[in-house]
Amino acid sequence: MKWVLAFIILAMAGVSEAAIKVVTSLPDLADLARQVGGDKVSVDYIVRADQNPHFVEVKPSYMMKLKSADLFLTIGMELEMWAPQIVDGSRNASLTVVDLSQGVTKLEVPAKVDASQGDVHRFGNPHYWLDPRNVRPMMDEIVSALTKVSPADEKTFRANADAYLLRLGVKIQGWEAMMKPFAGQKIVTFHKSWSYFANWLGLDIAGEVEPKPGIAPSPTHSAELIALVRSAGIKAILVEPFYDLSAPEQIARATGAKVTVLPTSSGGLDQTRDYISLIDYDVATLASSLKQ
Amino acid sequence: MPRSMLVLCCFCVVRILLPTTVVAQTSVNPDISVIPRFLIHSDDGQKLNEGKREFSRPDFSFEELELALQAYLNPFAKADVVLTLPGPDLENSKLGIEEVYATVLRGLPLDMNLRIGKYRAEFGKLNMTHPHAWPFVTAPLMQKRFLGESLNDLGISASVLLPTEDVYTKLTVDLLRGTAIGGATGMVDTTGAKPYYANTARLSSFFTLSDYSDLEIGLSGYTGIHDPYHRDRFWYGNLDFKYKIRPSAYTSLVIQGEYLLNTRTVHLEDEKSISSSGFYLYADYQFFKTYSIGARVDWSESPYSADDKASGFALFAGYYPVEETLGLRAQYARTTTELPGFTQSVNSIDLQILFSLGPHKAHPF
Ligand SMILES: [Zn+2]
Repeated sequence: MKWVLAFIILAMAGVSEAAIKVVTSLPDLADLARQVGGDKVSVDYIVRADQNPHFVEVKPSYMMKLKSADLFLTIGMELEMWAPQIVDGSRNASLTVVDLSQGVTKLEVPAKVDASQGDVHRFGNPHYWLDPRNVRPMMDEIVSALTKVSPADEKTFRANADAYLLRLGVKIQGWEAMMKPFAGQKIVTFHKSWSYFANWLGLDIAGEVEPKPGIAPSPTHSAELIALVRSAGIKAILVEPFYDLSAPEQIARATGAKVTVLPTSSGGLDQTRDYISLIDYDVATLASSLKQ
Repeated sequence: MPRSMLVLCCFCVVRILLPTTVVAQTSVNPDISVIPRFLIHSDDGQKLNEGKREFSRPDFSFEELELALQAYLNPFAKADVVLTLPGPDLENSKLGIEEVYATVLRGLPLDMNLRIGKYRAEFGKLNMTHPHAWPFVTAPLMQKRFLGESLNDLGISASVLLPTEDVYTKLTVDLLRGTAIGGATGMVDTTGAKPYYANTARLSSFFTLSDYSDLEIGLSGYTGIHDPYHRDRFWYGNLDFKYKIRPSAYTSLVIQGEYLLNTRTVHLEDEKSISSSGFYLYADYQFFKTYSIGARVDWSESPYSADDKASGFALFAGYYPVEETLGLRAQYARTTTELPGFTQSVNSIDLQILFSLGPHKAHPF
């Protein structure tokens, strides 16, 4: 009987201190949610840094993560094509799905939605989180989503977000200064993950290893890229950790450009444990590739 | 009003309406996918009764076209319609309804999901998978012999998640019209009476073994009246498992198997009870993202006799150059049929070609 009582008291204590349960698609969004929510939130995410966020299997274990969540924060723009099935499978009627792309200025929005253009960027390029200036509109969405769940904490959320954005602002200046010497340089990327990143740093993406977003490299396309890399004197080929290196390495061998593996999400490496250290790592690694 | 004026007015109205209608439609239209499959087949069993074992001339035929529509009905429910145009006679084939059902996804007590319509029932694992998503070309012998093409019936299905901590455990119970029973056993009901209702249930659990590997285990049952004249009942028990390891986006290994046990009462000379069983086990290895190779072993008795047996194996390979928009599958299978005093083996070679139009959904486990 004593145990039962103790259990009930513990359970009630648990309820009264219940944090807002937030699940995010990417680990980077989990970091931002933690920054805004502090100890008012408990945060989990679905896609690991070594997984391609476009292609995630619909696993019941992901549904379990969403089953008791209050909020599901997503990048939107159909990056998470798999999300509706996981949301439905979670059977969570009180789950709010938040699209963080609302306030972001979108790039590469096609005039015509058609599978002939590749199958993964039908609503524009969704990789906007790699431009740290987009963290502000994303955080605004997070603040308002958390506030809807817990209106009493609005001031805390806003203050946390502002403090983080201040810290991030200083970092952004540092990153921009570091990359300034390389402005206008041409690079090649595997997938169109780096459009926002390049746009921010004034880099010029001359081509992609993928012929179209989501379509695997082909020998003819790689041959064209080799010619391009040679003629433009391109030094770096950016590849996300989850793509096969054989096509980029073949191009690198033929041209002397450097294959630069850059994570697009935090958590994959010791040096990239959160969003700021991710951009730190990506900027520093790219700078050293371009320096050569 | 002069006619030209009227035409002009109509034209203006259309001009005003048109853009908004177009915008509204793109968001309301259901997802539509069309998946035709073609088959080139040859086997060495066609002249066996003449005492000759030679491969037949490869026959190129239309296998099936599947047209699937899916959309949310409202925030609580979605609907699925799967139409099928079966081969091989492309000209005279009639479009049929493979599945048509609505699923209530949320808003019900106990977070229950409710499905109503005609659908592939949740019995075992492979029964819920459409042939275009199989790694092999032909169905396992067990599936063919005990379920017919598939267990697909009119019914109502309810499922709940059981409170097993972080493990996803689902219990599904179906009340089926019973029309699919004849398809599985070849028994034709000529009593003119309405069929007796059938029931299926499946309990499945999903275990995360590591960041890269998962295991699903399911236990199903199926019961109904297979002989309406004597009201004879059958019971199926089925154990299924699926293991998948995916160390990278380019490589994966699936091992899946099912074991089915059948008991039924039959009236031959007198009432008698029959037990029989069947199983399949396959492995499919995907590499360089676009290729896959695999093997399957098959063994199955028949619903009405443990003496009517078939066994065999299949070796298969797949090539999917651009996701699942285009697929080529090759299969070699050897099947041995055994009856008392009769044994026959047939070798067959199949090449399947399929393509898929429309949005591509994320793959379920
Ligand atoms: Zn992308």
